Amino acid sequence: MKNIIVCMKQVLDPEIPLSLFHIDTEARQAIPPKATPPVLSPFDENALEAALKIKDTQESNVTVISLGKKLNRVVVSSALAAGADHLVLLQDEAFSDFNTYLTAGALAAAIKKLGPYDLILCGLQAADTNTGQVGTGIASMLGIPCITAARKVELDDDKVRVEKVSADGSEVIEAPAPAVVTTNYEVGVLREPGVEAFMSAAKKPITTWNAQELGIETAGTDCFNMVQMYEPVQEGKCEILEGASPEEKAEKLVTRLTEVKVI
Amino acid sequence: MSPVAENYLGITGYVIFWFLFAIALGLFIQRVCLLIRLLKLGRPENRFDRLAYRFINMLALAFTQWRNLKAATLKDPSPIGHAFMFWGLGLFFIAYLVFIGFGSGFGLFTVLSGGAFETVFFSILDIAAILVIIAMLWVIIKRYVIRPERLKREETTEEKITQASLITVIIVLMLLHYGMEGFGYAAYGVPGSWPPLGTALANTLVSAGISRDSLVAVYQSLWWFNYILLLGAVIYAPRSKHLHPLFSFSNMAFKNLNPRGALKTVDIQKKEEWGVSKIQDFSWKQLLDGYACTWCGRCHTVCPAQLSGKPLSPRELILGMKEHLLKVGPDLLKAGRAAAAVPVATGEAGAAGSEPAVVPPENPEKAFIGDVISEDAIWACTTCLACQEVCPSCNEQMNNIIELRRHLQMAAVTETARDPLKNLRVRGNPWRGTMYARTDWAEGLDIKIIGEDSHVDVLYWVGCTEALEDRSLKVAQAVARLMKQAGVNFGILGEEEMCCGDPARRLGAEHLFQMLAMNNIQLFSSYNIQKIVTACPHCFNTLKNEYPRLGGQFEVIHHSQFIADLIKKNLLKLNQFREAVVTYQDPCYLGRYNDIYQPPRQILKSIPGVTLVEMEQNRKNGFCCGGGGGRMWLEEDTGQRISEMRLSQAMDTRVQVMATACPFCLQMFEDAARVKEVGESLKIRDIAELVAEALEIPKDAKDKA
Amino acid sequence: MSENTGVLVHCEVTGGKFAPIAIELLGAGSRLASELGQELSAVLIGSDIGGLAQEAIACGAKKVYVIDEPSLKDYATEPYLMVMEKVVQQALPSILLLGQTPSGRDLAPWLAFRLNTGATMDCMALEIDPATRRLLMTRPVYGGNAQAVQVCKTDPQIAAVRTKAMAPSAKDDTLQGRVINIEAGIDSASLKTEVVERKIEAAVGVRLEDARVVVAGGRGIGSAEGFQQLEEVAGLLKGVVGATRPPCDARWVPDSRQIGITGKIVSPDLYIAVALSGASQHVSGFFSSKVIVAINKDPEANIFKVAHYGIVADWKAALPAFTARLKQVVG
Repeated sequence: MKNIIVCMKQVLDPEIPLSLFHIDTEARQAIPPKATPPVLSPFDENALEAALKIKDTQESNVTVISLGKKLNRVVVSSALAAGADHLVLLQDEAFSDFNTYLTAGALAAAIKKLGPYDLILCGLQAADTNTGQVGTGIASMLGIPCITAARKVELDDDKVRVEKVSADGSEVIEAPAPAVVTTNYEVGVLREPGVEAFMSAAKKPITTWNAQELGIETAGTDCFNMVQMYEPVQEGKCEILEGASPEEKAEKLVTRLTEVKVI
Repeated sequence: MSPVAENYLGITGYVIFWFLFAIALGLFIQRVCLLIRLLKLGRPENRFDRLAYRFINMLALAFTQWRNLKAATLKDPSPIGHAFMFWGLGLFFIAYLVFIGFGSGFGLFTVLSGGAFETVFFSILDIAAILVIIAMLWVIIKRYVIRPERLKREETTEEKITQASLITVIIVLMLLHYGMEGFGYAAYGVPGSWPPLGTALANTLVSAGISRDSLVAVYQSLWWFNYILLLGAVIYAPRSKHLHPLFSFSNMAFKNLNPRGALKTVDIQKKEEWGVSKIQDFSWKQLLDGYACTWCGRCHTVCPAQLSGKPLSPRELILGMKEHLLKVGPDLLKAGRAAAAVPVATGEAGAAGSEPAVVPPENPEKAFIGDVISEDAIWACTTCLACQEVCPSCNEQMNNIIELRRHLQMAAVTETARDPLKNLRVRGNPWRGTMYARTDWAEGLDIKIIGEDSHVDVLYWVGCTEALEDRSLKVAQAVARLMKQAGVNFGILGEEEMCCGDPARRLGAEHLFQMLAMNNIQLFSSYNIQKIVTACPHCFNTLKNEYPRLGGQFEVIHHSQFIADLIKKNLLKLNQFREAVVTYQDPCYLGRYNDIYQPPRQILKSIPGVTLVEMEQNRKNGFCCGGGGGRMWLEEDTGQRISEMRLSQAMDTRVQVMATACPFCLQMFEDAARVKEVGESLKIRDIAELVAEALEIPKDAKDKA
Repeated sequence: MSENTGVLVHCEVTGGKFAPIAIELLGAGSRLASELGQELSAVLIGSDIGGLAQEAIACGAKKVYVIDEPSLKDYATEPYLMVMEKVVQQALPSILLLGQTPSGRDLAPWLAFRLNTGATMDCMALEIDPATRRLLMTRPVYGGNAQAVQVCKTDPQIAAVRTKAMAPSAKDDTLQGRVINIEAGIDSASLKTEVVERKIEAAVGVRLEDARVVVAGGRGIGSAEGFQQLEEVAGLLKGVVGATRPPCDARWVPDSRQIGITGKIVSPDLYIAVALSGASQHVSGFFSSKVIVAINKDPEANIFKVAHYGIVADWKAALPAFTARLKQVVG
């Protein structure tokens, strides 16, 4: 029986219509929109799919851990409907979307608390912070290897085998289990649960811990100062290049694109 | 004298008569019982409400042959032939009962024969027999000579034999009637000049000078031959491939009395009650459809999926169900009802441990999904309802497809439908990737949001497509402008509006549908909403016909009805805008589903300058745009595009504008118009847009025109 | 922390040469170093790379740390991490710059956790705050819908920098600098992770979602032959051809090329939209592209509302000229 842990973050919907997206420049974060519920970060869903693909072929127990200030039950428990066996919610006022170190620390503590594990899967990067560091952070804190940007993950008895894209092709990397693997979208789109799955999800266990129960220190964990956050001014202005003929316009276009280093 | 009263080799005719009758009846009942027990393999379904109405309705439908006759066209008048045959054989059935049954069998022939009663009855039969013979000749010419598309089918030898024997037997029975009349009257006395043909034949025979003994002998032989042939038919009928004469009646009695557009609501907790993967998952009524199918092929030839080259045939689905039931059913009966728990196909994730272990049927039959009907065929259905509209036996082909889809979505959502269904679950709309928020279309139009001010007379339910899809936003804007112009106190739900659930339900994801519907019903109730106007026939159908089952009863009006009403009340004044020749596309969910044909046409006729030209297929036999049944979000990569076929039909009318009343039709035809590069020669417009263009007041400058 | 000084730049090597990002980082590093009045250093890790040290010096590096070993020819997490740690402990920079590349994205977070500091990924802009003399790093958040500027309170301040965001360094061969060779000293037995297989794959099968450059056509292309011209442009830019729905419907290109709601969502650095109107179902498939270029003969087309650069011209006339000029520039 393999124990697989998947870390999934609840994020602001990355496909939110732009007219509903606003930054609170004072609080330096996005204003949670009323009408658009949060979602599970897309790469994290890929990570869960990678875990479920392993579960399809060998007996496994998949635990999903989600961390946040205030988690939306409906959103995070869809992981159970997709096929996870156990959901662990880490909720605390001190948690922040942007505090990488604290996030990694809390997740690592929770993982230790859960017991033995063979594989930890995370998404390549979260859709809100776009940093892609937590997986590595967890590995660093647990003292295990981390392989990033996997497009295929396999779990043998004592080895994790990962296929990932390299600079000029692809590589297959092996590391001793347990290890952390972060996944990109190529591991597969998360299966959408049918009605049966939803019905059975209601019976699966959910555990909730806060920072104190995890035994971690939350103060002074952020080595960053967020100086500013803003929406870049959408000019919506297209620079139209003029010319006497279509050919001339085309040539000017190439020149301009070269100037701005697009080509 | 009746041949039954004679003695044959020392045995009285009565004994022979009743002995043969007992055998025939026994074999008949045995087979019919099997057929009914096979039906009982299916799930229960309550079609026993309003029994009196059902019974009377059945008699009315059957005896007027209404469903058949209304399908008759100049090109295909064969329903008239069927009516001849039905009425003719009906009369003969009564005749056999009276004259053979009571007359001969019960020895009442002295009372019944030889008098005015017989003369009148036989005269009627003389004429009826001619009609039946004509009908049979018609059948022969149609099925064997002309072979129209509708009747082209790959048939098994057994099916071919059934047809040929049926036709032969009927013709022979008719001829036997004349034969018996002729020889009977010739032998025992011609009663006069009525019945006309019988007496004419008899007189001929008499003048031919045949001896009386020969006449009697022939008459008796014909009589017994007729009797044995009838009994043979009785034994063979339920064993033949043609079960509809026995079962069409019951199918009409048990037809759906609920609104056509309402699919069966299921308790998603009880998964053993819904979703079909094997034959026993169908309800007995659905299985009965297989028996009642007349092989007329009408559903097959009106199905847009079939016509555009997809592997779906409603007829083959129904007949496939029947064949599968007949093949697999008896084994299932043997193994007991418990065997129903085991999937017929191997490889399916085994039934949960709660069912007792049973011996599976001896021959592992083909899987229902995959062999009897392919998954591609299941997804090809646009739920246009043309098949059910045209079926003379009141079969419900489309509903079966939805049940199959529900099964396919049970464990995990199918890949093709994943994007819209996931988006519905996560974001409450099926349009993944839309850049619009639900109120973007309303920017600058000063429209009440019910969440802020719920004092409205009418809720304008915008619908996902018109709120979030580029082209359709203009329709929402047009509708809003019209309502404002007419001074209607309306509001929209804005960001609170979620999908009505129709795409989820049509794609088989019943759990999503119920989640969305319950949400919406709660929302409506919280704002005390009573009257809803929507421009989308799918929303209209779901809100009106399907929400009541989940506890939401509201007055739901389609925008065509609403606008037609506003025009009638003179609240919208329409200027002449320009000469335009317009055709109108009947949306399936507005027309066939809900019988709304007039209001949109009224609207078009009240726009000055507009000439309405109908497409060849309109109203009840309107042709689908291909977007229903969740197909708006599925790839169409086999055969022709349904939307392009319909657009060609529109282009055949040489109109300048194609008017629609449904955002799916609008999208599908706009896409098709782009592919066919019609450019400006054919514009696709919603009726609301046409009315808005014709209003006196110029458009608001801020509109995103 | 106050002992840390200078800017250290990781110069990636591909195919025996500096990757373009390396020159860009040296340019940025040089600028930052001079603003701080501190030194620019470079670190080169690989095999047979000694010859590049001079180039780094020509770009302004005063010290170049070279770790040249056959086992370091290709990037691997553990050995590169060990080596970088070693160099950082020796160089003690205030700022460490890496590229937002496959190796940089892998390495930067490790260094942050190992060195008890923070890494900022995908930086689009780097400035020195005159007041605090700390590095102001600007990066996209919320999928690019917003931008954040942050400062790292601990040293070294690690930044993974987006490609093509910084001006490349000018080269001055007269500049002087010191080359410091360092032994990797890696005990291969201690390495846990092993690269078992390496496959060089030709760029032919680049997926639409991976492409840095997408050249997309719409209904106006008119035929499968028309799309061949887009293939040519895509080839020159090492990009991939995409399409809106009508060309897929009309079977001019396979369905796998479709970009949009029912197709693929792409986010390339450059998206060239040829003869497509920019209907929102399609635009939503690519609107997060860094630069959008439009060629369309209809000045009112929606695509011009989302594009950054464009010309109003019939593609049939414009594209051949575009391609020819492109050949001169790129080829």
